[in-house]
Amino acid sequence: MGKGVIGFINYWYFRYLLVTELYMVEKWERVMFHIVILLLLSLLSLFNTTVILGLVSWVTQMIFFQSSFPETAPSQAIHGEL
Amino acid sequence: MQGCLTVSRESQSTNKKFAFVKCGRMRPQILSIEARMEEGAGDAVTELLSGVDFENTKHQKVISNGYGPYSGGYANGYTCINKRNGYRGSEQNGHVLASSDEECTAKNMKGPIKNGYVKTTLKEPLKTRILKESFEPPTLLTAALTHISFYILMFLGYLSQALFPPKIVKEKNRDGYLPLFDRFASFYSRYVYRRIRDCWNYPICSVPGNEVVLKDRVTNDNGWTFEFTGSKTKCLNLASYNYLGFAENSGPCAEFAIDAIYKYGVTTGGTRQQYGTCDLHVELEKLTAEFLGVEDAITFGMGFATNALNIPTLLSPGCLVISDEKNHASLILGIRLPGATVKVFKHNDVKHLEQILRESIYKGQPSQEGYKPWKKILIVVEGVYSMEGTIVRLPEIIALKKKYKAYLYLDEAHSIGAMGKHGRGIVDYFGCDPKDIDILMGTFTKSFGSAGGYIAGTKELIDFLRKNSFASKYAWAMAPPVAAQIIAVLKILMGRDGTNEGQKRIETLARNTRYFRRRIEQMGIIIHGNEDSPVVPILVYLYSKIAAMVRTLIKEKIATVGVGYPATPLMEGRIRICLSAAHTKEQLDYALAVIEKVADEIGLKYSRKPIDPTPIDYDKIKVYVD
Ligand SMILES: Cc1ncc(COP(=O)(O)O)c(C=O)c1O
Repeated sequence: MGKGVIGFINYWYFRYLLVTELYMVEKWERVMFHIVILLLLSLLSLFNTTVILGLVSWVTQMIFFQSSFPETAPSQAIHGEL
Repeated sequence: MQGCLTVSRESQSTNKKFAFVKCGRMRPQILSIEARMEEGAGDAVTELLSGVDFENTKHQKVISNGYGPYSGGYANGYTCINKRNGYRGSEQNGHVLASSDEECTAKNMKGPIKNGYVKTTLKEPLKTRILKESFEPPTLLTAALTHISFYILMFLGYLSQALFPPKIVKEKNRDGYLPLFDRFASFYSRYVYRRIRDCWNYPICSVPGNEVVLKDRVTNDNGWTFEFTGSKTKCLNLASYNYLGFAENSGPCAEFAIDAIYKYGVTTGGTRQQYGTCDLHVELEKLTAEFLGVEDAITFGMGFATNALNIPTLLSPGCLVISDEKNHASLILGIRLPGATVKVFKHNDVKHLEQILRESIYKGQPSQEGYKPWKKILIVVEGVYSMEGTIVRLPEIIALKKKYKAYLYLDEAHSIGAMGKHGRGIVDYFGCDPKDIDILMGTFTKSFGSAGGYIAGTKELIDFLRKNSFASKYAWAMAPPVAAQIIAVLKILMGRDGTNEGQKRIETLARNTRYFRRRIEQMGIIIHGNEDSPVVPILVYLYSKIAAMVRTLIKEKIATVGVGYPATPLMEGRIRICLSAAHTKEQLDYALAVIEKVADEIGLKYSRKPIDPTPIDYDKIKVYVD
């Protein structure tokens, strides 16, 4: 069972290497590529959680409070914070 | 996409209408569209011979159907040539490129014929042949993934080069000198090709018959250097161009070649124009011409040089060459040398060819003062394309060439011997008249198991080449044992040895081809090309898959060739399999079983075509029955 799973993972890792052309590069390049990709991905998720999420929440708040309660609600919210 | 197309052979007895128009020299006057079309490939055919402009000579322009000057008129034109080239003697210096029936017509005609505008009508099509050609483009997903992975490869290459530059990268050009090599080309060979270099350039240590012995080697530094291990591997040979299996070290052909060594040695000691011609050459040229069904032939010691050195002899600036986009490097080199205008048409696309022909005839030569017709127009095609496995649509191209009065240069390197009921190449395959093709070129390397190339055509053309071609003036004549091998093979193919060995081999090759191609298609692997072409390119797209496949197949004792850029487009890597009459059904079955296993393993079943699951019976495959 365990062997089968390892075999399965190994095989699909091999297929993944093939379609990304990583099969033919040297080992350190493979590692380097994965590190770079992981770095990029983590930066992207950091960016998402901080900047994008903040923006989205701000925009939704604006829309939500301005369109449904055009006058009262936003000012209240702001007052509350202040 | 499985396209079926029917091509009909043009009828021989076309309706001829000759227009008798008097003419003088070339005039830069404005012609109507129709007149320009009539002009066709333009000027007198003499220019094909001389490569010089005859505008100022007095001879009458005599063109019949665009081929050649006939009867009264042609003496004029040819006396000029004689004077220019300073040779006399041959009665038929007239260069008449004409198909047989036209020759008869011309003989009956009296007086000069000018600009014979022949309205070709496709009456009574004599022969038709269904061409089954498969071409399946990759799905969008495959194409996108291939692109992305190529960028990954490039990124890693540049990164690696920047971090650990090899000595050669740090080298600076000397002051005032241009770099010797293109930067991308050297990067590509160092950081793409080098990584999988172990799949190419295998040294062999046996005759490349149906099996071949490879010399094993290892690399400890990722392809920069190799070391021989000292061991050898015997592999099934799906890599050599050995279509009829004549690459042998025993048997009648080899015996004949050995006898030739005892008689003549290995060199001729001179060029054909000096003391290099022996009776073997004369016999070979006679046999070749007879085999092809044309008047005469000339042979050279190297196929590549046959193209690269003879095309420049036939062309000059002011000529137009229309070339297929997948033409071989030797053709491209030959076309570029003489400085003629070159236009390229899409692979095997007759419509595009016609469009280019019409446009260029209408516009004429690029010049400032008015309309100037082309000196001549040459269409350059191959019989079987070695990287695509496709077959030229010869009947349609012959019809076009007749309609627009162009010349046709057909390179039969891969088709001579391998195609057609009698092994006479693509001309035989379609049942065309060999005299309709102005210049028939081919090589003796592939089907004949030897070396060298030939050009065949009318006597006048060949005489001209004998006199003027660089390859006959300056290149050493073909080695006698090499010529002897070809003679022996030609005799076998023509049945002169008293057996039907030649016919048997041609049929075996055709059967092997159909069997192998159908079985591969059943597996859902994408292959390109015609069902009768013995070159089978298996599309794998990615470099890694080329490497993985070649390595695994060699481990399973099958030798194949991987092909990538620059021999193919950048994203269309493929494995090329060459079938041979020497392969037995068992060998093919073994290869097919292994290929199926590998295809599953590395994911090659890209095809989205419906699969016909009926099993294929090798013995019941019909070949050449029509
Ligand atoms: C179409 C074509 N023409 C010419 C040649 C050159 O012939 P050779 O290998 O005999 O020099 C080749 C060789 O591969 C070819 O494929």
